[in-house]
Amino acid sequence: MKGVYNCELVERKQMGPGALKFVLRSPEISKSVSPGQFVNVKVSKGSDPLLRRPFSIHWVDRQNGLFGILFVLVGRGTSILSDYKVGDSVDLIGPLGKGFDIGDDPDTRHLLVAGGCGAAPIHFLCQSICDKFGCGTANVLLGARNSDAVLCETEFGGYGVNVDIATDDGSYGFHGTVVDLLSNKLAEGGKVRVYSCGPNAMLRAVSNACETADVESCQISLENNMSCGFGVCLGCVQKIKVGDGWEHRCVCKDGPVFEANEVIW
Amino acid sequence: MSNRLDMSVQIGKLHMKNPVTVASGTFGHGKEMVDFYDISRLGAITIKGVSLQPWLGNPYPRTVETPSGMLNAIGLQNEGLDSLLNEKLPWLAGFPDLPVIVNIVGHSIEEYAAVARALEGHPGVCALEINISCPNVKSGCIAFGSTPEGASQVVKAVRAETSHTLITKLSPNVTSVPEIAVACVEAGSDAISLINTLVGTAIDPWKRKFRLANITGGLSGPAIKPIALRMVYETAKAVNVPIIGMGGISNAIDAVEFLLAGATAVAIGTANFINPMAAEEIIDGIEKYLSDTNTNSVKEIIGQCS
Repeated sequence: MKGVYNCELVERKQMGPGALKFVLRSPEISKSVSPGQFVNVKVSKGSDPLLRRPFSIHWVDRQNGLFGILFVLVGRGTSILSDYKVGDSVDLIGPLGKGFDIGDDPDTRHLLVAGGCGAAPIHFLCQSICDKFGCGTANVLLGARNSDAVLCETEFGGYGVNVDIATDDGSYGFHGTVVDLLSNKLAEGGKVRVYSCGPNAMLRAVSNACETADVESCQISLENNMSCGFGVCLGCVQKIKVGDGWEHRCVCKDGPVFEANEVIW
Repeated sequence: MSNRLDMSVQIGKLHMKNPVTVASGTFGHGKEMVDFYDISRLGAITIKGVSLQPWLGNPYPRTVETPSGMLNAIGLQNEGLDSLLNEKLPWLAGFPDLPVIVNIVGHSIEEYAAVARALEGHPGVCALEINISCPNVKSGCIAFGSTPEGASQVVKAVRAETSHTLITKLSPNVTSVPEIAVACVEAGSDAISLINTLVGTAIDPWKRKFRLANITGGLSGPAIKPIALRMVYETAKAVNVPIIGMGGISNAIDAVEFLLAGATAVAIGTANFINPMAAEEIIDGIEKYLSDTNTNSVKEIIGQCS
């Protein structure tokens, strides 16, 4: 059940240039959270900046009541957050949203496609797939602008998951997009589920690639701007197919994960 | 808290056990909030605006953060009257101690009247709040709330259809709020709520684009509090009906200021997004203020500012 918590910052770790991982203590959240869900953080005590900032759950240690968020410094909110010290208390609401559905079929291959900071929820998703089906069923595809922006490669590798990397400038791994990698994997056929988080342009390309392939499910995690995070302000809406028409659905409450073929861009 | 404190107030026929409600559109119809606290603690719940038919609302992006505030252009997205009658009000019936104020919206006077007619005599409704102040809907709403004549027409039409307590929610985007308030009271409104949001915009200078798909939106949050407080004060002097004051209330002391300015009750809006327990904390905080200042009843401080 969602709630407002003050969580102790237990550890902060540099994950790359401008990328930080926070380990936070919350037995409540770590117990109940599922991959794809997020927390909404109040970064400042005062009224400016006013609104909370959403962060995907990146990692969970249920036994020790810990969870992690991973963020790249992109603006004022993340800049303020990056000043937090170990021992500080972080005011957050969670767990929020509807996450990924990994199904029940042990024979399904799971293709996890992350662009840049989209690796944050993909990591927790990977943990869950490894726990349920074994890491051999998962293949992580990481895309980034350049080698510096590749996140979590060692963490994924540490589980023994197969990791493929693509960079836009070719400075590391495959020279091209992560969607090119995905298309190759999809061509191998079989029962496949695809999960993706990253910039909208990438998610659209992932959706298109999955549409022509015969996948069980293609789930994408959206990042629309939110004001509340729990479905009352109706600010973060996305057009979602409903029957023959469409409706505005809240990314915070009805998502952030949607079936790709339901999303109207 | 001491038992001798009287927190109750009266808005027309609506009895509130404390002077705190929530601003329409910041609390849904309560379902998303029950994980955070017992919503029966509210003096009343004011639910998201309802129209005759479902409305899809405005395109995304709909909100943007501004210094100590935010702009929204939701466009009154709502699931319409049928969903209110068949899903939301039956769900709210599970909270017998929570009075329900239904905020009603329309593109035309007939639509407002039709919603009021459908809710007439409904036992799950304690009051109607007529929204003639939403700045984000192209036709209806603010078009009526911009002039005393327009406001009067809508209030008269709804008044003719309802015996519920009638509250009219006014816009700050006019030359004289008190003038429109007087017209609403003369047309049969039992109370006035204010303020709705202030029209503004925001621009992304790097993309050279407006940040809202609707271009303009309504400003809310702590940034607007001084304006709201002034408008509540001026309107309270002009009319002799209760006022529900709102606009940037974030804590109990903000709420007390609105009561001192002349509001009989207050509504918590944007603060719900940041602290979903804000309204409950404000109820407790007002009680503490009364206790700390040796005041027996919240009614003793209404308008008591010199």
